[in-house]
Amino acid sequence: MDRDLPSSCEQSIRSPSENPAEDSLSPETLASLRSLVITPSTPDTAISSIFQTLTRSLQLSRDPLVLHHTLKLFSDLASHRPSLSSSVSELVRSHALLSSDSTRLAAESLDVLASIAERGGTPVDLDDRSFVSLCFGPSVSVRSWLLRNAERFRIGPHVLLTMFLGFTRDPYPYVRKTALDGLVGLSKPGVVEDLDMIQGCYCRAVELLLDTEDYVRSAAVRAVSAWGLMLVAFNLETKLYWSDNLFVKLCSMGRDMSMEVRVEAFDALGKIEIVSADILLQTLSKRVSGTTKGMGSFGQCPAAEVESSASSVAGVLVHGLEDEFYEVRKSTCHSLRTLTIISAEFSEKALNLLMDVLNDDSMYVRLQALETMLHMATYGLLKVQGTHMHMFLGSLMDGNMSIRSATRKILKLVKLPNIETFKLSVDGIIDNLERHPQDEADIFSVLFHIGRNHGKFGMSIINEVFKEMELASEGKLGFDTARVAALLILAISALLSQGQHACNIPPIIFSYAVTLLGRISVALTDIMNQDALLAYLSQCSRSTRFSAMEFNLREDKPRLPAVTIASSSHSSNEINGTVGSPFQQGEDVAANLQYQAMREPMEVASSHVGYHLEVQDEVIRSMNLIFAKVKDIWPLIQSGFTNEVLRVLRSFKEELATFTSGSLRSVGAVAFALQYLRVVKQLAKVWEHFLPARKLCSGMGELDIALGKLETRLRELKSRFTGLSLEQELQILELLLLTCTLRLSKVESYCQVASLKKLSMTASHVESILKLGSIEPSNFMSEVGKLSYLTRTSSFGAPCDPFLFKELLKYFSLEQFVVFGRIDHIKAELVVPDNDSENHLPFVPRLPVGIPCEITLHNICSENKLWVRMTMDDESTQFVFLDLDLFGSSDEVRKFTYVVPFYRTPCAFSFTLRICIGMECSFEDVPPVKRYGGPDRELTFLCQEKEVHLSMVGEH
Amino acid sequence: MKARQRGSQKERKFPSMAIECLVLGAGQQVGKSCVVVSMNGKRIMFDCGMDMAYHDHRRHPDFSRISESGDFDKALTCIVITHFHLDHIGALPYFTEVCGYRGPIYMTYPTKALAPSMLEDYRKVMVERRGEEEQFTSEHIVECMKKVIAVDVKQTVQVDKDLMIRAYYAGHVLGAAMFYTKVGDSAIVYTGDYNMTPDRHLGAAQIDRLQLDLLITESTYATTIRDSKYSREAEFLKAVHKCVLGGGKVLIPTFALGRAQELCILLEDYWERMNLKIPIYFSSGLTMQANMYYKMLISWTSQKVKETYSTRNAFDFKHVLNFDRSMISAPGPCVLFATPGWISGGFSLEVFKQWAPSEMNLITLPGYCAAGTIGHKLMSGKRTKIDLDKDTQLDVRCQIHQLSFSPHTDAKGIMDLVKFLSPKHVILVHGEKPKMATLKGRIYSELGIRCDDPANNETVCIPSTHHVEVKDERAAEGILVEEKSKRAKIVHQDELLLMLGEKKHDIRFAYCFPINTDNLEDTKSTDVSSSSNALSMSGRCSWLPMLYIKLSDELSGGNIQYFGEQIQVESFSVSLCLKDRCPYRIVDSPPNKCEAVFFCCTWSIADEKLAWKIISILENLDYGTC
Repeated sequence: MDRDLPSSCEQSIRSPSENPAEDSLSPETLASLRSLVITPSTPDTAISSIFQTLTRSLQLSRDPLVLHHTLKLFSDLASHRPSLSSSVSELVRSHALLSSDSTRLAAESLDVLASIAERGGTPVDLDDRSFVSLCFGPSVSVRSWLLRNAERFRIGPHVLLTMFLGFTRDPYPYVRKTALDGLVGLSKPGVVEDLDMIQGCYCRAVELLLDTEDYVRSAAVRAVSAWGLMLVAFNLETKLYWSDNLFVKLCSMGRDMSMEVRVEAFDALGKIEIVSADILLQTLSKRVSGTTKGMGSFGQCPAAEVESSASSVAGVLVHGLEDEFYEVRKSTCHSLRTLTIISAEFSEKALNLLMDVLNDDSMYVRLQALETMLHMATYGLLKVQGTHMHMFLGSLMDGNMSIRSATRKILKLVKLPNIETFKLSVDGIIDNLERHPQDEADIFSVLFHIGRNHGKFGMSIINEVFKEMELASEGKLGFDTARVAALLILAISALLSQGQHACNIPPIIFSYAVTLLGRISVALTDIMNQDALLAYLSQCSRSTRFSAMEFNLREDKPRLPAVTIASSSHSSNEINGTVGSPFQQGEDVAANLQYQAMREPMEVASSHVGYHLEVQDEVIRSMNLIFAKVKDIWPLIQSGFTNEVLRVLRSFKEELATFTSGSLRSVGAVAFALQYLRVVKQLAKVWEHFLPARKLCSGMGELDIALGKLETRLRELKSRFTGLSLEQELQILELLLLTCTLRLSKVESYCQVASLKKLSMTASHVESILKLGSIEPSNFMSEVGKLSYLTRTSSFGAPCDPFLFKELLKYFSLEQFVVFGRIDHIKAELVVPDNDSENHLPFVPRLPVGIPCEITLHNICSENKLWVRMTMDDESTQFVFLDLDLFGSSDEVRKFTYVVPFYRTPCAFSFTLRICIGMECSFEDVPPVKRYGGPDRELTFLCQEKEVHLSMVGEH
Repeated sequence: MKARQRGSQKERKFPSMAIECLVLGAGQQVGKSCVVVSMNGKRIMFDCGMDMAYHDHRRHPDFSRISESGDFDKALTCIVITHFHLDHIGALPYFTEVCGYRGPIYMTYPTKALAPSMLEDYRKVMVERRGEEEQFTSEHIVECMKKVIAVDVKQTVQVDKDLMIRAYYAGHVLGAAMFYTKVGDSAIVYTGDYNMTPDRHLGAAQIDRLQLDLLITESTYATTIRDSKYSREAEFLKAVHKCVLGGGKVLIPTFALGRAQELCILLEDYWERMNLKIPIYFSSGLTMQANMYYKMLISWTSQKVKETYSTRNAFDFKHVLNFDRSMISAPGPCVLFATPGWISGGFSLEVFKQWAPSEMNLITLPGYCAAGTIGHKLMSGKRTKIDLDKDTQLDVRCQIHQLSFSPHTDAKGIMDLVKFLSPKHVILVHGEKPKMATLKGRIYSELGIRCDDPANNETVCIPSTHHVEVKDERAAEGILVEEKSKRAKIVHQDELLLMLGEKKHDIRFAYCFPINTDNLEDTKSTDVSSSSNALSMSGRCSWLPMLYIKLSDELSGGNIQYFGEQIQVESFSVSLCLKDRCPYRIVDSPPNKCEAVFFCCTWSIADEKLAWKIISILENLDYGTC
C-alpha cells in the first residue's frame, strides 16, 4: 500500500521538513491525503504518519485555507478511524482554535469536535461566553451555523432564547430565519415556563410575519404557531383568547404571496383545536358577516381589532381551497380535519366546499379531501346531502385507484339520509364495479357495510330489483354479472342489519348467493369466515323469516348485547355449530375484533395530542382531552348513533393504549380512563333501548344484561380507583343514579323494589357528599333527589310510575370528567405457578386442597376487604377471606404467596377451578344475597379469572 | 448635508421631492388607462389606452397635458404598458406615430407578441366596418412595435442611471404584468389589471413584499366580493347545458384572448365528462391564433397548465371548431365564442342581432361591460327592446346569463394586495366613482393607508415625506444626510467623510511670538564654555522643558504632554520656531533682536480659550525664577 502513496505526499509525510515555514501542505497533497484517509485499506502506519503530518500542519500553518482543509481531514480521520477520534479531539481542543482570531476556523473546529462527540466521544462543552462572542463575530455564515447548531454544544436554553430573540432582528434574513427556527426548537414543554417569556417569543414571531423575505415569513409562521400553541396551553382561562388570537394571526398569512408561507399557514391552522365559532365560520365566507359588523365583536378579539381581524380571516379557507398551488389546497384540506371537529355548523358548510374540491385537478388534493371526509365520518360529522351525491359518487369513477378506495372507505361509514341517496350510492358502487372489476373485493365489503348500516333501504332495493331480475331473466339470474353479485351482497348484509326483523327477502336469493360463496367470502374475510358464511347462507335460503328471527334471538344469548359486526360473526359461528368464544370478564369481545375501516380513527385521534408543559402532564392532558371529546359524543348517544359512538370510543381507547409507558401516576389514570370509556360504551348500548324510534323487539333480557353490565362497570369505576375528588365521585354516583333510573323507567322491570331501594340509597349518598363540599348538583341529580324523596315519603315499596322516571332522563347529560390529581388503580395479579392444562395440581377427593397462589396487590389499603372466589364448573362457589394484615404493610404493592384452601373437592378424576380476587364495595350497603361465610357486599373483581387444573392423586 | 440632529427626537419629517401622479385616463371610470407619474425628475407613462365608448377625441387621453410644446421625448422618460387590452394599449400607435413620441416603451413578451393583432383587429373594425376616419394605419402599428422593449417577469430593467423597472405576474390575461418602478429611493407599483385568484388558465398575481411609496391599483370591482369560483363554474355549466339540451344556441361574447380560453377549458372538461357532442365554435381566426400563442407562452399560464404541459397542452381543444358566417342561421344547438366581449360591434353584434329574438337561445355576459355598449344595456335591467341605432330596435327575448367571473380581482383581492404591500399611499384608478369612494374609505379605515381616487386630468401630489425613525435613544446622535432622490438617513460623523468621499478639513489657528530672553542671562552664563551660537542652541533646547514644568504648575489637570520638539496641551501645541520668516509671526522681532526666541503655536478652534491662556502664561513668564 505504501507504494501507492503519491510522491509529494509521501515526501511530506516521511520527512518532517527542517524548515517548518515551508511545511504548509499544498491543496493537491491534502486531496491525496484525504483519499488515503477514506480508503479503508490504508495501513495504520500510513494513517499515523498522516496524523502527524496534519498535526504539524495544524500547529504551524497560518494559512486559513490550509487550516480549513486540515480540519476537514481531521474530521474525516476521526470518522473513518474511530481509534484516532479521541486524539483528534484532544488535538483540536488543545490547539485552541476556539480562541483564534478567525471565527470561521473556530466554527469549523467546533464542528469537528461536535461530530466526534456525536459518535461517542467526550461532549463539547462550549461555554456561553465563547458561544455568544462567536455569534457576534463578523462572519454571517458562522453566525447562522452556530445558531443552527447550538443544540450540539449544550448551550443553556435561556442563553439560547436570548440569542435567538436578539438575532431575529439581524439585518441578514438567513440569520433571522435561523433564529426563528431556533425559537421553534425551544418551544418545548419544560424549557420556558414563564408566561411573559412565552408571550415575548410569540410577539416577536408575530412581528416577523411582516418580514420582506419569503423564507423568514414562513419561519415566522412556524414560530408563531409553536409559541401560540404554548400560550394556548398555558392557562385554561385564557385558552380561547389566545387560540383566537393565534388563529387570526395565522389566517392573515393565508393570503401571502409566497406559496411556502401559505402552506405553512394552513398547516399551522390545522393544529388549532379550539376557536370561537364566529371566527371559524368567517373563514368560509369572503364577506365579513353582518353580525360581526353589527355587534362589533369577533370571537375574543379586542374591540379595536375586530374589523381588521375579521377581514384577515374572511374566506381564508375558501382561498386556500381554490389556491393555484396544489400544495396549498392539500394543506387546507388537511387542516379541515381538526377544524371540522370544533363546530358542527362549520363542518356542514366546509363539507359543501370539500365536495367541490373533489373536482380538483390534482390527485393529491382530491385524496386529501376524501381523507378529511373520512375523518369527518369517523366523528359522525359527515352529513351527506342529495346535492353532494353527484360529485361524491363521481370519485368512484376516478381513474386513480387510491381515490376510488378512499371514497369507498367513506361509504362504509357514511349515514345516508334517504333512500334516494342510498340508491344513488349503490348504483355508483355498482358502476365502479363494472368499470373497475379489480376493485371487486373491496366493493363487496363496502356493499356489505352500507347494506348493514341501512338495512331498510337495502331491503327495499333488493325486493324491487329482484322482481325486475326475475322478470327479465325468466327465473334465471346471470350470476356472473357484477351487478347481481353486488345485489346479493346487499341482500346478505341487509338481513344482518340492526333492528331489521320483518325480513321479506326471497330465500332463493340466498341460495343464489351460495354459488358466489368464494368471491363473497374473500371480500368479507374481516367479518366472517367462509364456513360461517356458508352455514348462514344455507340457513337463510331455507327460510329467511325464521332464520332472521332466530338469528336475532341467538344474539341475545351470548352476553354480547350490542349488535355489532363482531357479534354477528359470533352468532353465525353458533349457527354453524362451532363453539362460541368464551365470554371473558372485563373484556368485550366485540371491542377486540376490529376491522380495517375502524383502524383509521386511531391515527386521527392520536394526531390530536396537544401541547404539554411536562411529560407527566402530557398523559393527563391528553386524557382530559379525550374526556372532553367523550362529553361531546353524548348528543350522538342520545340520538342513537350507537355504531358511530362505539367506533369513536374505540378510537379513544386505542389512543389511550399508547400511554401505557407513563409513570405510576399516569398508569392509574389511564386505567381509570379506560374504565370510564367502558362505562360510556355500555351506557351507549343501554341507551339504544330507550330511543323513541326503537321497536320493542329484543325482549327485556338483552336490556337487563346490558344494564347489569353497566352496573358492574360502574361499580368497578367507583371502587377500584382511589384518589378521586369529591366531584369525580359525584359524577360516578350520578351515572349510578342514571342506571337506576334507566332500570326503573322500563315498564317491564321486575326488580323494581330493589332498584328503588338502590336509587334512594345512592341519592342519599349523593346528598351526603353534596353537604360535604360546596358542589352544585347537576339538574339531573336534584330532580332525582326530589323524586326519591317523594318515593321515600310515600308508601314505601309501592311500584312507581315508570314514566316519572323516564321524564327524569331528559335532565341527564354527560358531564366532562377532568383528571388532575393522582389516581391509583386498585388491582391484583394472581398466578398459580406450575399449573396449566398439562400440569395439574394433585388433590384427594372430599379432602381440602391447598392452591398455592402468587398474589400481587396494587394500591390496596388495609381497610379493603379482599376475598378469593373459587368457582367450580357447576357454578358452585367458595369464598376465602384474605387477611391483609398477614401480608406485608406497604400500601402500594404487596407481593406474597398464599395457599388458598379449597374445601369442597368433588368426587371426580379431575376438575377445573376458576379463581379470582374480589374486593367488597364499601359504598353499597345493600347486601345482594346473604351467603354463608361469604362477603357481605357485592364484590368487585380485581383481576382476570384464572383457571386452576386439578386432578386426583395418582391420576396424572 | 442639510441638518444635524442631536438629542432624542423620535421621528421627524423632512420635505422632499413629491411624487406627482397625473391621471390622463381611467380616473373614476373604466376605459383608456393612462397615468403619468413624475418622481425624482423622471416621468413615466403607465399604459396608453383608448376608450371604446367614444368615437371622438375623447377616446384618447389628453396628451397635451404632458407637454404643451408637444416634445414628448423630453417630457417622458419611458412608457410602460401592462397588457394588451385596448383600454391599456389602444392609443399607443397614435401617440408614437402621430404625436411623435420616440422614447423607449416597455411591455412583457406576450404583450408584445399579441398587441399587434389586437390593434390591427381594432383598426379594421373601426375603419373598414364603420368607415371611420383612421387614427393610425397598419404601418403605424408595425413602426410602433419596433420601439417596444420586451421584458420578462421579475426581470429588473435599468431604463437609465436612476430609473429601474421590474415586471411582476398579474394574472388577468396572458402576459399581464404589474410594474415596480424605482427612482432613487422612491418606489411605486402600478398594477394595471390583475387577478388575485387563479382561474382555469392563468395563475394569481404574484409580487414581492416591497417598500413602496405609492401603489396605483385598478378597482374595477371596488365593492364586489365574489364567492368561491367552484359554484360560479357550476352555475355557468348548468345554464349552458340546459340551453343546448333544449336545442338552443349559446352566444358567449368575449374578447379574443383570456376569457375565451378560460371558459373553453371549462367547457371542454364538462363536454368530456358529460360526453356531449354539441359543437363549440370560435368565431374568428384570431382566437384560434390566440390559442397558438397560449400554447407557445406556456410559462405565463397557471401552475396547473404548466405542470401538465408535458403530457397534454391544455389549449389543444378537442371539441372546438371554426365558425363560418353562414352558420349563424343554421339550425341546431351550438356554443359560439364571438368577439368583441361587450357586444359593442363586430361579429358578436352581428350574431346577437340574429339570435337575441329567440327564447331558446342564451347570451352569457361578462361580469363587466363598459357603459354605452349593448352588453351594458342588457345587464342594466330587464330590457326587452334595445336600440341598435336611431332607426333599428331589437326585441330581445333570449335568456341572459351573467357570468360573474371575471379576470379582474374583487374588492377582497384589492384589499389583500394593498395589505400585503402596505404602501404609504394608494391611488385608485380604473373603477366607477361611487364604488371607488367606498373602497377608498375601507383602505383608510381598515389599513390606515391614505388613498386617493382622482378624476381624469387631475394630478395627485404625494408629499413623499421621509420618516427617519430613531429607535434607540442612546444612539440618537448622528448626522442626518439627505441626498437627492434618496431616503434620508442618519450616519455617524466618522462615516460621513467616507460616504461623501471627502477629506477632513481641520481649521487651526497659528501664532508665532517672541519671548525676550534677557532674563535668561543667568542661565546662559552657567554655560559659558560654548560659543554664543551654540549657547543659544543649547539654551533653546532647555527652554521647552522649562516651559513644560511651568505649564504643569499653572494648568493643573490639563493633559500636558512633552514630545521633545513640542509641547502639546489638548489640540494646542507649541514649539520653537527656527524659521527666519514664519508666516504666523505677527511681531517681526523684539527690540533686542538677538536675545529673542520665537515660539510657534497652533491650535484648533475648540481650544481657543486654552490657547490664549497658555500664550499669556508663556509671554508673562518670568524665566528668571525658573
